[in-house]
Amino acid sequence: MLRTRICKWIRALTFGVFILTGTLTYGQQKSITGTVVASTDGIGIPGVNVVEKGTTNGVTTDFDGNYVITVSSQDATLVFSYIGFVSQEQNVSGSTAINISLDEDVSALDEVVVVGYGTAKKSDITGSVSSVKSEELAAFPVLSAEQALQGRAAGVAVQSNNGGEPGAPIAISIRGNTSIGSSSAALVVVDGFVGGALPQPADIESIEILKDASATAIYGSRGANGVIMVTTKKGTKGRMVVEINSTYSSQAVTERIDLLNANQFASYRQAINPSYEQGPASTDWQDLIYRTGNISNHQLSFSGGSDKINYYVSGNYFKQNGVVINSAFERFSFLSNIEVQATDKLKLGFNAFANRGNKDGIQSQAGSGGSGEGDVISTAYRFAPDTPIQDENGVNTTNPVGDQFDNPFAIATESVDETTTDDYRANFYADYEIIKGLSFKTTFGFSTENRTRGRFQPSTLIGQASIQGGIASVESVKGTNILSENYLTYTTEIGKGNLTALAGYSYQKDRTERFSAASQGFLSNSLSYFALDAGSDIQTPSSSLTEREIVSLFGRLNYEYDDRYLLTFTARRDGASNFAKNNKYAFFPSGAIGWRISNEEFLKDNKTLSNLKLRASYGVTGNPSLTPYQSLANFQPIYSNVGDQQVGAVVPDLLENPDLKWESSYQTNIGLDFGLFDNRISATLDYYTIDTKDLILRNTGLIEYAGLLSDPFQNVGEINNTGFEVTLSTKNVTTENFSWTTDLNWSTNKVEVVKLIDGEDIFLDSSPGSFLQDETHILREGEPVGVFWGYEYRGVNQGTPEPGTAGYDETGAGDELFTDLNDDGVITGEDRKIIGDPNPDWIAGLNNNFRYKNFDMNVFFQASVGGDIYSYTFLELASGESNATPEVLNAWTPSNTNTNVPSAAVREKRITNRFVYDGSYVRLKNLSLGYNLPTDIVNKMGMQGVRLSLSGQNLLTFTDFPGTDPEAQYQATANSQDSQDSNVNRGFDYGSYPNIRSYTLSINLKF
Amino acid sequence: MKNFKTLGILLAFATVVGCSDLEEVPVGRLSPDGLVQSPADVQTLINGAIGNMATEAYWGRKLSLPIMLRSDMVSIGDVGTPGRRQDVDRFSMSDDNGMVTALWPRAYQVIAATNEAIAAAATLTGFPPEQIDPVTAQAHFFRAYTYYHLVRLFGEIPYIDAPVVNVEEASQIAKSSVDAVYNNIIADLELAKSQLPDTQTISALPSRATAAAFLASVYLTRGEYQLAYDEAKFVIDNEGTFNLGLAVDFQDLFDHAAQTSTNEFLLSLDFNGFSDGDTGRDYTPALTGIRANERGNIGGGWSVAVPTINVYNSWDGRDYRKAVSLDTTGIFDGVEEPFTAFPDFDSRNIQSAYIAKYTRAIGPTGTGNGRASSLNYGLMRYAEVLLIAAEALNELSPGSGEAAGYVNRVRARARGGNGSAFPADVAGGMSQDDFRDMVLEERKWELAFEFKRWYDIKRRQLGPEVFGPGSLEPQPNFDPSRDYLFPLPFDELDRNPNLAPNNPGY
Repeated sequence: MLRTRICKWIRALTFGVFILTGTLTYGQQKSITGTVVASTDGIGIPGVNVVEKGTTNGVTTDFDGNYVITVSSQDATLVFSYIGFVSQEQNVSGSTAINISLDEDVSALDEVVVVGYGTAKKSDITGSVSSVKSEELAAFPVLSAEQALQGRAAGVAVQSNNGGEPGAPIAISIRGNTSIGSSSAALVVVDGFVGGALPQPADIESIEILKDASATAIYGSRGANGVIMVTTKKGTKGRMVVEINSTYSSQAVTERIDLLNANQFASYRQAINPSYEQGPASTDWQDLIYRTGNISNHQLSFSGGSDKINYYVSGNYFKQNGVVINSAFERFSFLSNIEVQATDKLKLGFNAFANRGNKDGIQSQAGSGGSGEGDVISTAYRFAPDTPIQDENGVNTTNPVGDQFDNPFAIATESVDETTTDDYRANFYADYEIIKGLSFKTTFGFSTENRTRGRFQPSTLIGQASIQGGIASVESVKGTNILSENYLTYTTEIGKGNLTALAGYSYQKDRTERFSAASQGFLSNSLSYFALDAGSDIQTPSSSLTEREIVSLFGRLNYEYDDRYLLTFTARRDGASNFAKNNKYAFFPSGAIGWRISNEEFLKDNKTLSNLKLRASYGVTGNPSLTPYQSLANFQPIYSNVGDQQVGAVVPDLLENPDLKWESSYQTNIGLDFGLFDNRISATLDYYTIDTKDLILRNTGLIEYAGLLSDPFQNVGEINNTGFEVTLSTKNVTTENFSWTTDLNWSTNKVEVVKLIDGEDIFLDSSPGSFLQDETHILREGEPVGVFWGYEYRGVNQGTPEPGTAGYDETGAGDELFTDLNDDGVITGEDRKIIGDPNPDWIAGLNNNFRYKNFDMNVFFQASVGGDIYSYTFLELASGESNATPEVLNAWTPSNTNTNVPSAAVREKRITNRFVYDGSYVRLKNLSLGYNLPTDIVNKMGMQGVRLSLSGQNLLTFTDFPGTDPEAQYQATANSQDSQDSNVNRGFDYGSYPNIRSYTLSINLKF
Repeated sequence: MKNFKTLGILLAFATVVGCSDLEEVPVGRLSPDGLVQSPADVQTLINGAIGNMATEAYWGRKLSLPIMLRSDMVSIGDVGTPGRRQDVDRFSMSDDNGMVTALWPRAYQVIAATNEAIAAAATLTGFPPEQIDPVTAQAHFFRAYTYYHLVRLFGEIPYIDAPVVNVEEASQIAKSSVDAVYNNIIADLELAKSQLPDTQTISALPSRATAAAFLASVYLTRGEYQLAYDEAKFVIDNEGTFNLGLAVDFQDLFDHAAQTSTNEFLLSLDFNGFSDGDTGRDYTPALTGIRANERGNIGGGWSVAVPTINVYNSWDGRDYRKAVSLDTTGIFDGVEEPFTAFPDFDSRNIQSAYIAKYTRAIGPTGTGNGRASSLNYGLMRYAEVLLIAAEALNELSPGSGEAAGYVNRVRARARGGNGSAFPADVAGGMSQDDFRDMVLEERKWELAFEFKRWYDIKRRQLGPEVFGPGSLEPQPNFDPSRDYLFPLPFDELDRNPNLAPNNPGY
């Protein structure tokens, strides 16, 4: 239904576009053609605005710098303008061909970058800021801009919490995870709106990533995780430009797990249990659940402007059919940016954004994996291959070995898991110039996110739902966010110096309402989750409300002297309702200096060194670590049954902590920017160290006999992130017909736990519930966050006496042996140690762009090296309760003793180093070939540009990890404010959604 | 001038929103201040204590499983089950055993809810004592009941009888002696006995008889046989007033549909096939069930807690209670199979008769494998009161017909189940020692798998005998100087070093 509606909408708009362009091209008077080149190298400049002076009539140059414009009269004047170049005016005076050579604007050589509450020239920046351009974000189709950021900026790690699953949440961490118990997700600011949802990539003009304290302190208590500043596209002066982008991708799973076939499986089972009877089928479950998926993505935008108004309006439709049967994601979104110069002094603007996403999910990454809790992917590995989808009575089969759960095909095709998300944002602003140099800006914005998730398991699923007669649940979350900000900006010259001062006030309120309801026991499986009242067994409903208010004062002072010395002071004072009673207000200052050495006398005329700047900053920022009501005392309602009736019941839960405060990050940054040979080589180096103090952890040191349900929160922990970042851009070849540029970013981040409560280790567990393990990873002072914790596997008991060997007597020939670390003669919990570190040594992105005449090529590699993976998948496949990998064909038997694989048996799922793997990988993330149709052909078609491209994503992955994807994550729910999962549960793999290879065809039309 | 007008308008707009005192006013959350306004609110806290008991971390699994496994009647079936369970069974547990570290905090959470209830009741004004006291008495009862488990499992423990306000102070207290804990338990039970009503409409709430029955149990454990006898006798003499009696059919006690119609339970922990996560969910059906068993269509069990084959072999086949308590067959691929074939259908099954009390007639279940059953667990049955009276009286005056009569009531009911002549009435002229052994055996079969056996072994110090060679469950690791007590969780000793030393041997 929805899809049909969208298609209609797109068709209608497309039709409109043709009508409009038809009108515009009608009534030509005089046509002028020409090429705009740069004076330095004579190469055509794409995107130059060519406007007939005094009118709104304008065009932009194509990829090669060519333009065609129709002017109203013989003596019209054309204005050629482009950022970074000095504008030129040229009188037409009868000519039909005008070629222009633009000079670079040395003073404006810099890019302008967006910083908090303003913009700055890149050369004036004293903090650490990375920029990602729109062409990088839109290089290949992705569901969300988060994905497009992967590998694009130094120090920015992007991690999906479930591989390639359509619509899975994605975590962006900047310079490591600065927290343990709270969110480490970066703050997202979209067109000034704090906490906005990211627009889809094609609508984004640029993304700036603010990394150090000097850059982020303006966001105070929310700045510690870095800030992602998103600027959406705006219209520019000139005639309307209509752009249509369509892409289509075909997708397939790159890796599968090699498993036993039906015959091998049956003999393996018989080795464990001689009476096992081979099932009647031969089923490759991975074959059944995977398919060729696809993405289609269509984007239509209108933009343009006059002296008084500019606009950008776009619509987008995205549809992904996942590579697992029955998984899909669909989204449509709209964006509108309109700005009006109301008077000489007053500018008004309005941004609006609307987005709907529908996720048609499958059950993936089960939390327990035990009886009745299987998910599609892990069960495809585990499920017996000698079993059919349905038995002879047409009943879905369940696994004949181990815990009872449904087969993956039944789970994928019969259970329902749908999430609908609506995002709306509207933002109004007015910018008023009070006197020259002093302006006042006020913004008022509102955003809302509504999310509804419905799930249904029909009674035909045997493992669980059949017992209850079908299980249905609905959860709804409604979040609203109001933001009002007002600030003054003053710019003035003082002698050889420039001063910019900013001061402002901000008020923000967010509110989240949630409810959920569930029911079981349905007469019919056709009701899905839309008739909870029809269930015979209504489950406890729940609802909650959280509200938070933040009031802030902020200010910044920039002083630049003689183009050589730069000084920045930034501060913000936040007061927040979620801060505890005795700590309602927080102050976050930062300072930075910069020295543009290349502008000093002794370097000014140096031909080699075109730019050299040294930067240093220090400051403190906060983590939005306190959730509302976290510091208050609480009684918790619990389920209680007295006399077989549910009764009202509460228990003591939490003691008050009126002194609880936010987590603070103290960050030092030292950076160096340099450029060589007219910036044909430019580089940025940054070193940082971040001490995050007052980490909020649950104090497990509180005596348990106090009888409280929850451990209290306290500011006790400390971690450090230290790293080094390199960004290198080179223009290797720049000739008229051929150019080659390279961008490299490379970064390290070393994270270390500095302080925990009383120095006590914190043991954590991320294993699937059915594994019945308590401790899988650990937080320990002096160690990285989340290192794996377990036994050291030392091979198979050979059945010959090994006197004095610990644990030996407890095992028989063919059993696993572990190292007795404390030499006490028995294998106990004391014999565990750190067996792996999931944190990579470095991550990198390498992007190469080639252009030959009208052809261009992009080759983009992305890498993560040195992180370990713990595979619950392989642990489970070796535990004797499921299908297995062919490794078990080499299992120990009395006649096959020279092996590391224990004998076939049911074994406890102990955490050992046997299943720790090197998760390093290098991935060819994108390879694309593009072709721009020649201008004359395009013009004949009445268009400004036509581009075709063919690309492949994830074509190659180099890794030693034997699982399906080294980017695997398990139990790492991202972006959840009160979840520590994505900070500490790193590098675990369990039935992860496999990575996907795509082939993409794109077409881009510009009118 | 016009400029300033525009600016004024903008400023006015800017200040429309933005004033706040930043105070948090949580809606939909329960602040402890001023929560309790009436006796009904006190009951809400007591219900919280009951809800806290009926959780996975306590009666659902973490308490119930260890006290079953610790006994000689239940051992490990699936050898792949986690080590923490096997360690409890094999007397090899250490002070970080995952069962112990889970049940310990939960026990104290039950206690904390009762402490809050008692403290809150004391602040109530405007209600007559007859409205407040019977409710508060429940809190005293459940506090005593929870400490009774703790003191038997751990020996010396920290004793908390008021809500913890000053954490610093509470973190430094020493353990209370076993005698001191028992004195407090007895005081709470005495208070409960004096203020609880003679009967409750449901057995989930304690009555005067419940308090007396637990006093009898406590005194029996303490070896104070006169007091034990007096309390048990008080209940028996007033069985009409208290509306107590033995169920006619022993099976009814373990049948979710029939059990509430009996008047045998003095206290039950109720499950109704519904749970909120692990709250309200029992795992005993899953833990004791046969893997891959199709009977009952609950997806089979997990074969974790299974009696050794000796239990089956040594239990007289004529005893109706054996048929009720054990499952000797399962249904696999639609065919009923004997227990010797169980491992053929799942390698984690063993060749033994399985516990049937928690799988046979447990009604609707909230989730697979029988988890979240509809069964109520009898925590004190009238049969036990009769056996307490018999055991205590034998210690006071051996050879009495009265003592034999109590046992015979229990046996007569057992015979009634299948009309067999077994178990016969108690033979006359038994020596004191023989009678004592006989009652303990009777408890073993009558109360089989009902979480009583380990405590019997402990109070009578039977370990070397019942875990020795040729016993139901030989356990060479058993060490009487260590194994009658569990270790306190190691991390609790770290939190409060004044709790050290741990129990001997840990």
